[in-house]
Amino acid sequence: MSAIGQCLVAFLFGSVVGLLVQRSRFCNTAALRDAILFKTYRNTKALLVAMMILTFGFTLFLTFGEGNPMHFDVGLNTFAGLFIFGIGMVLAGACTVSTWVKTGEGNIGALWALIFTFVGMFLFSLVWSVNYWPPAPASMTGEPNLEALQLGYANAATLQEKFGIPAIFFGLIQIGVLYLIYRAIRRKEDAQEAAHMQAQAAAQPAE
Amino acid sequence: MNRQLSEVVLPSEFFKKTLDPVIALAAIAVLDIFMFLIVGAWTVGGGETMMTGLIAQAIMGDDINRLPFWQLVFVPDAGYWKIYISLGMLFGAFVSAVLSKEFYIRIPRRLEEWVLITIGGLLMGIGIRLAFVCNVSTFFGMTPEMNMGGYLAMSGILAGAWVGSMIYKKILEG
Repeated sequence: MSAIGQCLVAFLFGSVVGLLVQRSRFCNTAALRDAILFKTYRNTKALLVAMMILTFGFTLFLTFGEGNPMHFDVGLNTFAGLFIFGIGMVLAGACTVSTWVKTGEGNIGALWALIFTFVGMFLFSLVWSVNYWPPAPASMTGEPNLEALQLGYANAATLQEKFGIPAIFFGLIQIGVLYLIYRAIRRKEDAQEAAHMQAQAAAQPAE
Repeated sequence: MNRQLSEVVLPSEFFKKTLDPVIALAAIAVLDIFMFLIVGAWTVGGGETMMTGLIAQAIMGDDINRLPFWQLVFVPDAGYWKIYISLGMLFGAFVSAVLSKEFYIRIPRRLEEWVLITIGGLLMGIGIRLAFVCNVSTFFGMTPEMNMGGYLAMSGILAGAWVGSMIYKKILEG
């Protein structure tokens, strides 16, 4: 596909995502923060359902060598970066998706968060230009590189290659784990609702 | 005109009621599988980095070449497809907000909010670049591909969200 075609497909996909996220008020930050702080799981359940569908789709196509998986080495920086990101998203009250969506709704705070995300990226580019860590894509080998704190590259396709077992098999295991988490949340919600009903019944004066 | 458009051309209920996020995310997941097949899974951080590079290039001119990051990791290129996912989200959300009469300018009122958003934004930008991935790639790309990095990133974001939530709680409690 030509570069223009890719950009058009990306814009179309983004537009539909923006519309669906705006209408549903989905927020990745809320999916984690609300589960931790308020024990509410509206967004967490949606995130888990999406991950189950995606795991099925991606690992199915990877089984047949189709698709465009992300291909770069990961390591300590992957954990550390998302740790820093996780703190930032809760403080900002928005993630990468909701900053764009809320900006589209006229939220100046979200636009401000977006601007400072850009500033943070630029600041990081200054630091990287001095220490060159984590390694640039061109110097990634796909193999563990402990000196650079890199573990290399592995996904469902490489598991299939290594063990001769179809990628979808590993995908189904992951879907099973995600489903168990989803079911545990549903049970917790049911218990919360039962406790709430009981409390309401107890609060009502006897006739 | 808006009223006519939303009531005649488009299913009006869609723009009146809040959509169940499970339905919205299931639809996004199906579309993301098509994206995965055509060009690559949904991501936001890469496009944002490219936009940062393009803005820096517009401001700094040739001086940007003094920073190896913008030559070795992200060479500024306006034709990078990931940029257009973000611009699409902005456009889609704007259209949706206007059609559902939910578009209005909201400005944070307290200084405290501005400070938190500024720090949060900076940390998000630094974190994305350090990790080479954002939250979207973590949950909607890498982990469903069963990439080892997805599990590292998920552990990181969960730990970070917990620490962030504790800080947030302390602030809420004053």
